[in-house]
Amino acid sequence: MFNLVLFAIFLVTFGLAVFSLSKMQQIKNKEAKISELKRSLEEMDEQAKLIMRTDMELNKTQEELDKKIAGLDTLQRLSRDISTTLEEKQIFKKIRNDHLEELGFEKCTAFLWNDLKREFYLCLNLGYGNDESEQIGRAVNAEKEAFLELIRSGKNASSVFIPADFLAKDKICGIFMTHSFIICPILAQEGDQGFISVGTENIETCITEGEQELITILANQIGQTLDNARLFEKTWRSQQELEINATGRTRQLTQALEEVGKVSKRKSDFISSVSHELRTPLTSIKGYAAILLAGKLGAVPEEIKARLAKINRHSDELVHMINDLLDISRIESGKVNMKIENIELKYVVDKVADLLGVQMKGKDISFESSIPEDCQRVMADRSQIERIFINLVGNAIKFTPEKGTISVNAHCSGRVIQVDVKDTGFGIPEDAQEKIFEEFYRVENTINQEVKGTGLGLALVKHIIEAHQGRIWVKSKVGEGSTFSFTLNAA
Amino acid sequence: MYFTIIAFLVNNLINTILLTLHNLHYILVGMNISLGFSDNKDHIQATNEAIGQAIIGLGKKRRDLAIIFTTIEFAHPLVLKITNNLLGEIPILGCSSLGIMTNKGIHKHGFAVLLISLGEQVFLNFAAVKDVNKMTPVAAGRDLGKKLLYGCKDVRRNLSLIFSDGLITDGTSLINGLQENLGKSFPLIGVSASDNFAFTKTFQYFNKEALSDSCCGLLFGGKMHFGFGIKHGWKPLGKIHHVTKSEGNIIKEIDGEPAIKLYENYFAKDALELAKELRRISIFYPIGVYLEGEKEYLLRNIISIKDDGSLVTQGDILQDSPIRLMIGTKDSCLSAAAASCEEAKKDLGAQAKFIMVFDSAARFTLLGRQYTKELDIIKAAFGEDVPLIGIYSYGEQAPLKSISYLGRAYFHNQSMNILAFGGQ
Repeated sequence: MFNLVLFAIFLVTFGLAVFSLSKMQQIKNKEAKISELKRSLEEMDEQAKLIMRTDMELNKTQEELDKKIAGLDTLQRLSRDISTTLEEKQIFKKIRNDHLEELGFEKCTAFLWNDLKREFYLCLNLGYGNDESEQIGRAVNAEKEAFLELIRSGKNASSVFIPADFLAKDKICGIFMTHSFIICPILAQEGDQGFISVGTENIETCITEGEQELITILANQIGQTLDNARLFEKTWRSQQELEINATGRTRQLTQALEEVGKVSKRKSDFISSVSHELRTPLTSIKGYAAILLAGKLGAVPEEIKARLAKINRHSDELVHMINDLLDISRIESGKVNMKIENIELKYVVDKVADLLGVQMKGKDISFESSIPEDCQRVMADRSQIERIFINLVGNAIKFTPEKGTISVNAHCSGRVIQVDVKDTGFGIPEDAQEKIFEEFYRVENTINQEVKGTGLGLALVKHIIEAHQGRIWVKSKVGEGSTFSFTLNAA
Repeated sequence: MYFTIIAFLVNNLINTILLTLHNLHYILVGMNISLGFSDNKDHIQATNEAIGQAIIGLGKKRRDLAIIFTTIEFAHPLVLKITNNLLGEIPILGCSSLGIMTNKGIHKHGFAVLLISLGEQVFLNFAAVKDVNKMTPVAAGRDLGKKLLYGCKDVRRNLSLIFSDGLITDGTSLINGLQENLGKSFPLIGVSASDNFAFTKTFQYFNKEALSDSCCGLLFGGKMHFGFGIKHGWKPLGKIHHVTKSEGNIIKEIDGEPAIKLYENYFAKDALELAKELRRISIFYPIGVYLEGEKEYLLRNIISIKDDGSLVTQGDILQDSPIRLMIGTKDSCLSAAAASCEEAKKDLGAQAKFIMVFDSAARFTLLGRQYTKELDIIKAAFGEDVPLIGIYSYGEQAPLKSISYLGRAYFHNQSMNILAFGGQ
């Protein structure tokens, strides 16, 4: 019995021991799992730390990249705006607060050096009040030698790098009232140079190389545009001066022309009034001579008759001359009313040839005319055109020796008809060809001394043609004859 | 006295039930809005232009309220003077921001105005408290809550909109103070004003005043129809840690060590180096507090590091809270923006009439060149032409959606908070 009890106790103890061992094993297993989980958790936490650190670096890089892209985009827009500016003052106005903001800054100044006054002057102020910008201006000029040296060296200064011999970082921060800054020289080839400063008060901002590069590009762009603007201004000023000179000259010439016009008018008025005054007594002279010649006051001896006939003929010539003068002065002063109509050129030429036929016959001069069908009709005053032909053909008859030839030809050039009156006369010396259209001008040669004339015929012709918006010229060679050409508007 | 307490509790209970049952909402009757925006460089001209647009847009409807948002350079006394002169004696509230969101885009410079004509059955009260840090955020919150409740005892209150200084260090206490008077389960949507990451001065606008270190708010009562969604998209990384010692918004120890050790271990940098990169750390790697039942962790930005290694956060973290380090990516951020829109749409349960967006400034930085994508997502979710106005903030306030939090508002970081208003 006792043994049985002992055996039972043994069994129970053994069972408990086995159970305990099993439990202990389970606990051990669980502890191992917990420890494994803990290790996993710790490892995952370590991984989390790695992720966090990597993420932070990535975020920084991303921020930097975003900043750079935004900066480049801004710079590209700004460069486009600036480079198209040709006025020095406008260049700095193109830089606005939003540009600055996109470049990652909120404060900006630009100074240029005035060599005459030996001081820097402010060209751009963004993010500062007026008092602040004045204060910065004073501080910059107080340290002008340092800033000039920086410009001469062409180097940048920033809150992360300051060249030797330039001001200390705290000093610059104090001048520009910023925590971080970049100062970049504006290196123009001509004229005043200067510098641009950008900055921020944000204590977390750290200037990067990328930002320095961007501001350098901006400063260079400003420098180049300043050069362009200055060159443009120089050219523009020269042009302005030229224009002023030209305007002055034009004014002088206009005044001279007006003066000439006045003189010419006075001359015309004088000729007109003198001619009128002369014609009246001439008419009386001619009238009395005619009465005497007719013998109405008694018989007149032959000798006196001959003299009276001369008086009568010279009076006629004088009247003719006075009439020509009057016509010229009327045309010059625009008092002649031209009756412009569609007339047939051939009809006029034939009429004139008929009128002067006797004279031509007397000198055995042959007359030819060639007016093509398409040059027949012109817009002109009939009576004035007849006077042109009478004068030109009449002159040709006077200066063409016997058995010569006179021809009238016409040809078209667009809406203009050119008429040539050609003779085989003595010709006109080259130096006189320009002057023959002037009033009272007569070529000084033996022929002219023989041939009578007032020196008004060609002048009158010229005036009539110009009154028809045409022009007249002559081509001539001494001994070979002359060709007078003039133009008229086709009908 | 007993009646007031009972009425208060009943009101809170009703609000809680309504908030948790998504398909039941107040109905906004006959509310009209008009938006105006200008990015004119001249702040006076910009104000005139934007208000001119809003007035024309609202037509002959009665002007009841103006909400103005400006970028920091427009925070000028003249801007408020002109706004008041042009709009007359109506409540004007708003704040400064580093950017303004409108249908046209995201503007880094400008002045925006939202002009509201409330329906006949909508009640409005407005108030402001100054010197928040001086009088402590909790006391300021209490005071603002009291002022907002003035004259509203018998009105069914259903939404409070708060604009506070983003530099107030303890945003949670401000909310706690407000909740003491407005009710813990009361839908409180808020935004903390921002500057351009200078963290020097933000502005809150209250009628003719441009305030700092202040909080102003609106209390809407009556029939309104709105829904909101708030999401951030940051994910936990690494093992769970525990806050072993904390005091309000200061975490003194984590896992029995000075709190800064957590960041030192994870980033292999010492406190000095971490302090230099505090803004980046604060934006990209905030602390996440686990919330039972919520899909996302509640985020806490690190504002500063104390000499003893304590971390100062924008909102409070309770002692013994399990926390994780969080990480945000562009993709997760944009997914969260879409989720926030969907949540607001679901919450509204109807076509949105207009939208207000309170988006974290941190998201703006995280998204970098892709910052406009959030706006695309919002417009895709609500429709291209639904009027919207939004700002970037240093903190957002909104209730948690899980039923276990009874609709209580919390201080958030890194979130996109969408407040969608519906029609009748």
